[in-house]
Order: sequence, then structure tokens, then C-alpha cells
Amino acid sequence: MTMTSTATADIVARCQSLFDDLNFAYAREWKAATPGRKVIGYLPFYVPRELIHAAGALPLGVLGGGDQLEVIHGDAYYQSYICRIPRSTVELGVTGRLDFVDGMLFPSICDVIRNLSGMWKIMFPKVKSRYFDVPQNYRDEVGGTFYINELGELRQMLAEISGREVGDDAIRASIALYNENRRLVREVYAFRAKQPWKAPSAEVYLVMRAGMILAVEEHNRLLRDYLAAAAAEDRPRRDNSRVVITGAFCEQPPLSLIKSIELAGCYIVDDDFMLVNRWEHSDVPVEGDPIQNLALAYLHNSGDTSAKYEPDQKKKGLYLVEAVKRSGAEGVIFAAPSFCDPALLERPMLQEVLAAHGIPYIAFKYAENSGQMQPIREQAGTFADSIKLWSEQ
Amino acid sequence: MTVTAGIDVGTGAIKAVLFEVESGETRWIARRTERVRQRDPFKLAEQAYDGVLEEAGLKRGDVAYVATTGDGEALSFHTGHFYSMTTHGRGAIYLDPEARAALDVGALHGRAIRLDARGKVLAYKMTSQCASGSGQFLENIARYLGIAHDEIGALSKQADNPEKVSGICAVLAETDVINMVSRGISTPNILKGIHSSMADRLAKLIKTIGSIDGRVLMTGGLALDEGLVAAMQEAMAKEKVTYAVRCHPDSIYAGAIGAALWGAFRHEKLAQLDELAKAS
Repeated sequence: MTMTSTATADIVARCQSLFDDLNFAYAREWKAATPGRKVIGYLPFYVPRELIHAAGALPLGVLGGGDQLEVIHGDAYYQSYICRIPRSTVELGVTGRLDFVDGMLFPSICDVIRNLSGMWKIMFPKVKSRYFDVPQNYRDEVGGTFYINELGELRQMLAEISGREVGDDAIRASIALYNENRRLVREVYAFRAKQPWKAPSAEVYLVMRAGMILAVEEHNRLLRDYLAAAAAEDRPRRDNSRVVITGAFCEQPPLSLIKSIELAGCYIVDDDFMLVNRWEHSDVPVEGDPIQNLALAYLHNSGDTSAKYEPDQKKKGLYLVEAVKRSGAEGVIFAAPSFCDPALLERPMLQEVLAAHGIPYIAFKYAENSGQMQPIREQAGTFADSIKLWSEQ
Repeated sequence: MTVTAGIDVGTGAIKAVLFEVESGETRWIARRTERVRQRDPFKLAEQAYDGVLEEAGLKRGDVAYVATTGDGEALSFHTGHFYSMTTHGRGAIYLDPEARAALDVGALHGRAIRLDARGKVLAYKMTSQCASGSGQFLENIARYLGIAHDEIGALSKQADNPEKVSGICAVLAETDVINMVSRGISTPNILKGIHSSMADRLAKLIKTIGSIDGRVLMTGGLALDEGLVAAMQEAMAKEKVTYAVRCHPDSIYAGAIGAALWGAFRHEKLAQLDELAKAS
């Protein structure tokens, strides 16, 4: 079947409507379709969605309110020097937009999100909430043992919410589905790195963002359709610089920022916008103990980010160098939310690593509701020019 | 022989040029300016591009690289886009090889850009206020005073007792001008006051980009305004800045020239990279 530009446009339009909907109609309808269905919200950067799925629930990524949500109540809960995602998440909660969510998971990413988990318990006592911890020691007998226990407790919590046992076979089936999801996500990223003019970053972003809300089975179909449609598109190739975006793994930039970077002459060939979509580098084994398999995948086969502890100083930041090589990038843009401790505290160390490898970079900050794109365009545009005209390659 | 195009989509005017490049030699073969005058700038850019092609007797398919600058990144037919600092710097070196800084004064912004001999941007600073260094403001005032855009420079040079005008904000400056008109101040003295106010800010801007090892070339639409150029000389002397400030009859094309020349450079570089990729 020949795909037309309408196919891509239709897919992207659907993703855009999911992205724009701050009342989460899709998740509400999914829950209402069958009695007893549950929805579990989670914040960035990672939770084992396989367990949620195996419990018969819908994992729902909560990534703040974006640039369309006016934060009125949320500001009262945080000091002015705290980032925006917890404020807009509180706003989503107190305005009833998340009133259908049965459980909330707050991963170990920073103090602010950890504190939000406690606040959620107080503010929404009927919602089961959990601070989901991840290992910071990667030895099987230490971090592995800890994480298996953590996963076991999460499994128990999900069983209580769904009212059914979360069995090993169900987890194995879910792992298989998410393996397929990650394979397709990796395929989209590889496709974009190879032919970035055929997969504009704002489109890829929306397609990935759809994975935060759609049931995995549906997202897998959408990813397959997008790959076929984008490959069939005839789009002009620009003389743009190729960049990796890093630091945007929690509070998300406004879509207009992503568009501005590309419009300014940069093809984004890798990013860390929604790491949960491709956290494990390759398939998690389906055979054997599924909890142990998930734990070992986290310890030895998962992504790297500022929010994940790296015990070996010599390895710090090398994942960025690898990302540059893998995607054929010519530079790195550090784009971090204002007041993001994990991203901003790590940034100087990562920049040092890039400098040592002769990789050019620039840095700026944003908030999810940033409106002024001109300075970003100027920075990204002059960066693209400097790569195109003055790099040694 | 390679043909490249440069299209500078400015706030006040669209500038399009065509260059032929062969064995490192460049030849400027066509040029066109379209004033925007509240029309769709992207349609005008397309018109300007088709206009230079017609002038050179070429078709779109003959152009190896279409480079845009200014607000031209949204043009659907461009090959690559370069930022204004990058293109005005290169254009300045093309127009005056001794220039080591460009002072780009357009309809919306003023930019001081320090350069090396290759046209590489070493430092830059731009005005940040809405109307600062703004040609649009000057055009508005000319319209209020009932004079043609082309008359501004000559009239300004006739001033014998220029008035002081606010250099901070166009709204305040417009109020100043209304007061001057009601007080019977002559048009040349009003225009010179505006030119001096703009020149004072631009001279300060040049001081912020560091030591310049050569001349300053004014680029952008206002480089053609002889009144502003004269006011610039005075402002530089007042600020005790010793660099010579020049303009060129083709200064308005500096951005488009720079885009076309960088486009030619990129075309060659991409061809080399393709060769390397094939060989490996």
C-alpha cells in the first residue's frame, strides 16, 4: 500500500489531539469501556510500565500541563525557585483533570518529585501513591536485590488497586508487548537519524508523546503506521546541522521550542524527551523470572541520564558521546528546564566530557510554558551556522 | 560553474541575489529588492527569486543552493538557512575586504558584528528594545511628516539646529516628534535629531563588541540613508571611537550576498563530504 502525506498528517493530527487534551479523554474512555479497569499515572523519567499493564491497568504518563494550562493553585504549593512541572501537575490534580486516576507513581528523579509523592498522598488520600525508587548500586547482589524488592512492592500495590493478582505469565506477556514497543521506538529514532528531513522532530515528539497515554497495543500500531507513512513521504532535504538534545528528560519543552530549533537549521537526530519509551536498550528476556529480568535490565541494559547515578566517574557523560556517534550528530544542545537540579548540576561535567571529545555544544534553559522563542532561534541558528561553516569535518 | 542564490527576508524589504562561482572566483549576476509594504513577505520572496532568475536567464533547476537569511527559514524552496550575523558578516567582507566589523541597521534591529578576514563572526551585539535602531520607526516618522522615504537622508543633512529625540523608546520619540511639529521645528532638524539619537545608540553598540582591527561597514537598508551615515560619523567622534565607518552602494544586499556566498561554500563542502562517503 502506498502511503500518502495525508497518512502522516492524519497520524500526527491524532497525536496532536492527544497531546492537547489536558482532560485525558482517551484514558477516561479506555477506563470506562470495561468495568473494573484502572489507570495508573506516572511521572518522568522511568517506571516499569510492564507491571502496570500486567495488572490490567493503563499506564498514563503525566508530564505536567504544558504551555496551555494556566497554573493558579499550583503556584501556592511551591517556592518560586522550583521548576514548573510539579506546579502544573498539582494544578492538573486540584482542578479534577486527574480524578479518574487510581494510582500515581513518582519515580526517583529529584527531591521535588519525591516531595510531590508525599503531597499527593495528603492531597488525594483515596489515590494510592508511591515514591518509586530505583537502584544506585549496579551490583546484582546489592542494587539488584534492592530493586527486586522494590518491584515486588510495586507489584503488590498494583494488585491491590486492580483487585487481581499480577501473575508471572501476565508480566511476561506485557514484557513482550513493551519489547515490541521499544523496538519500534528505536526504529523511529534510527529512521530519523538516517533521514531527519523525512521525520521532523515535532512529529516524532508527538508520536512518542502519544505513547504516554495510548495503550501499548495501540501505540505499537501507531508507530508502525508512522514509520510506513513517513518513509513514503517526499520531503525536501535541507542543509541543516545535526544535533542531539539533552537535559529535557523531565519537564517537557513547549512544542514550539522543538519546532524553533529545527526551523533555525538544526535537525534533531537524538533526544532524551521521553526516556521511558526506550529505557531498555534491547529486549528484556521473556523467559524465566520476569521480575528478575526487569531488575537486571535496569542494572545492565538501560539508558543513561543525569537523573541516573553513575558510580564510575570515568564513564560519566560517555553516553552522550555515544549518542553523538550513533546518530551522526555534529553537536549537542543542552536544553534543560529552569531550576532542574539533575540536568543543571550535571551539565558542566557533561560539557567537559564533550569538550574533551571535540564535540561542540550550546546550552539554554526553558520552562514548559516558555513563550519567547526568538532567543532560542538565535542561539540554535548561530550554533547551526558555526557547525556548518567552521567545523573541521 | 555553480550558481547560488541568496534571499534575505527582512521586515522592510526582501533582497534576492544570484552568484556564479567557478574555481574560487565569484560573479554577482542578478539582484532584486522588493519593499514589503504590508504584503506577504514569503510571496514577495518567491517573486524576488523568480525575478533574479529571469534577469539571469536561468531556471530554478539551474541553482545549486538557495540560501535564505533574515526571516527566510520558512521559505519552502530553500536549501539552507543562515543567521543574519553570519550573512551580514560575509556580505560586508565581500563589499569591503578591509572591513572587520559590520553594522547592520535594518527595519527592526541594529547589530554590531566583529569579524575576521574570512567573515567569521568573532563577537556580536544587537539592540534589544523594540524600536531601537529601527528603520521602521524612521519610516513611520517620515510618513507622519509627509515626506518620501528617499528624501530622509538629504533633508537630514540640511539641518542647522537639530532637536534632541528620545533614544530609548519609539513611543516617547514619536511624542517628541509630535511636540516638535506643533512647535514649528523644521523637518530637517527633526530628522537629524532622530538620526543622531539612532547613531548615538549604534556607536555605543560598536564599542561593546571589542577592538576592531579595520573599518566598520554599514549594512542593511539604513546604510543607504546618507543622513544616518553622517550622524554615525559624528556619533563615533563623540564616543571617541576611531574606526572609520563606511557604507557601500550595495550595502542593502549584504545579507543576501553573504547567504549566497555561504551557500556556495556549503555546496562545495557537501559535495566533498559525499565524495568521502562514497570512497569509504
